[in-house]
Amino acid sequence: MSASIWLQKAGKQAKGLLWGRRVQKAKMIVLGRTLSDGLLAKLAIYALLSIVAYLYLQPLLYMVSTMLKDMSDLLDPTVKWIPRAVTWENLSKAFKGLQYPVALRNTALIALSCSLAQVLVCAMTGYALARLALPFKGLITALVILTFLIPPQVIIIPLYVIFSKLGLLNTLFVFLVPALFGQGLKGALFILIFRQFFRAQPASLEEAAKLDGASSFRLFFRIMLPLAQSACLVVFLFSFIWYWNMYYEPSMFLANGFTPLSIRLDNLEDVLNPSLLGNTHFITNPVTEGTKMAAAFLIILPPLILFMVLQRWFVAGIERTGIVE
Amino acid sequence: MSRSAPYRRKAMEHHAKRYGIGMLFMLPWMIGFSAFVAVPVGWSMFMSLHKVAVVPGGFKYDWIGLQNYRDAFLKDNVFPIELITYFQQMLLMVPVIVIFALLISLLLNQKFPGRFVYRALFFLPVIFATGQVLSELFSQGAGDIPFLDQYNLEPLVRQYVGGELAKTVMEVLGRIVLILWYSGVQILIFIAGFQTVSPSIYEAVRIDGASPWDSFWKITLPASMPFVSLNMLYTIIDLFTFPLNPVLKHIRDNMFKVDTGYGYASALAWIYFAFIFALIAIVTGLFSRSMSKRRGRA
Repeated sequence: MSASIWLQKAGKQAKGLLWGRRVQKAKMIVLGRTLSDGLLAKLAIYALLSIVAYLYLQPLLYMVSTMLKDMSDLLDPTVKWIPRAVTWENLSKAFKGLQYPVALRNTALIALSCSLAQVLVCAMTGYALARLALPFKGLITALVILTFLIPPQVIIIPLYVIFSKLGLLNTLFVFLVPALFGQGLKGALFILIFRQFFRAQPASLEEAAKLDGASSFRLFFRIMLPLAQSACLVVFLFSFIWYWNMYYEPSMFLANGFTPLSIRLDNLEDVLNPSLLGNTHFITNPVTEGTKMAAAFLIILPPLILFMVLQRWFVAGIERTGIVE
Repeated sequence: MSRSAPYRRKAMEHHAKRYGIGMLFMLPWMIGFSAFVAVPVGWSMFMSLHKVAVVPGGFKYDWIGLQNYRDAFLKDNVFPIELITYFQQMLLMVPVIVIFALLISLLLNQKFPGRFVYRALFFLPVIFATGQVLSELFSQGAGDIPFLDQYNLEPLVRQYVGGELAKTVMEVLGRIVLILWYSGVQILIFIAGFQTVSPSIYEAVRIDGASPWDSFWKITLPASMPFVSLNMLYTIIDLFTFPLNPVLKHIRDNMFKVDTGYGYASALAWIYFAFIFALIAIVTGLFSRSMSKRRGRA
């Protein structure tokens, strides 16, 4: 083989190598070293998430758009998303139909007081389960989990009787009393969150406080509870939202007094159309559709504002409390 | 007993000292548990075995044994069908919710600018998934995916799934978006779960030449198996008070009916609980077995 041919071949090879490296570099930028750093992967993630998020939030958009439609737009099938004329009539009707100020006060009172009670009692219970000596601790923990598994349907009838005997039906206390005794809405979950949190704290803190002569209650209220600030906030927020959104229990216990927003929404059709009494469930009445959506919007507005202000705490909260471990 | 009295007193004092504070902290919960869980559970069991009539000044119980349970299946022509339909729907909904949560959380777990906005977006439904608001949206037909009609998927489903099940599938598909609204908390649990895997493992397998695809199947998925089971349980429990749960309404209706009453309604609730409990037991059993197998291998 002559030298010139050999040289040519080597040159080609070198060129190929260079080209290959360039391709690799481009590939690195586009595809990335791991799944997430490539440009292509990022674009794909954005596209996928945006599409899913759009579908996900579509009912919300539907709610807002229907709310702003006037009668002729509601009845006209060619008007889908954007109303021809924006009307506030639905909102004012819903405001009146829900008796918004009173119902809002009721809902807010229930959500606030019960959440505060839950934070305090669940923290105490969780602390006892995590750190204090208890007989049959394993059994008690199992019972806590069991209370989470029992469907509300099973105990709702006796509870109804008990509450009516105690005279608590149709008052705020029908929810506040169980919450004060650690049996609030999803209380077991919160107890477990606090248990997990207190377990992760170093034991030396307590020992130091004990050496300094602090009683167990002082230790709990002055040191452990302030330490659990982030867990407290997470529990409070979730509890607040869940109390705000609950509707099965109030439909049993608060049907005839102290009615929260969710029950008022249930009765809205009757209020708007007294002639249709009964038989109104799951009938779509295009005339009242706008008003109902406005009412739904009015109900979710306060927690929505709360979420926008405290968004960081909701989303990061579960990670921070270390509930999953 | 041979133990002397002072010894026993001392032991009791010791126990009181040791357990006293713990018991004091537990006291509210214990009162609440007995008053609002234990008594109602026992009472409800008792009621379900009786014909309960409301008489002035209280209740009249007539022992009828398992008659209420028998009636639920043999005489009631609504309840068994509702129960089966709801369970079919739930068996479909739970995996759909958990898999959706897993996929979304995988995407949200990637590092890209603006992911916090997306995390907030996907958490948003937890804020306003009120039962009543949801059922209003349901009844107005919001929450289906547009391509369901556009591509006319119904005959396709009918062809491949067939018969009664197709109806269930279509019903779930028709509300899929609102059903997926129940995945907010699950997404958070998954994301938190992913953080428990140390990044150095991913680094190590990458150097060993594993593709992201491999590392997902070999590391991420096995590591998040406990969270899959946790999320499944959470989803089942979360769906107890799902606004479209027909069992809820049926129990309430029977509660205030004269000829059925509290006894029959309690029996219905217990049957429902039995089914749910079986489901929960199956889920935990399956997952704990697969996990112990994994531990055995490791």
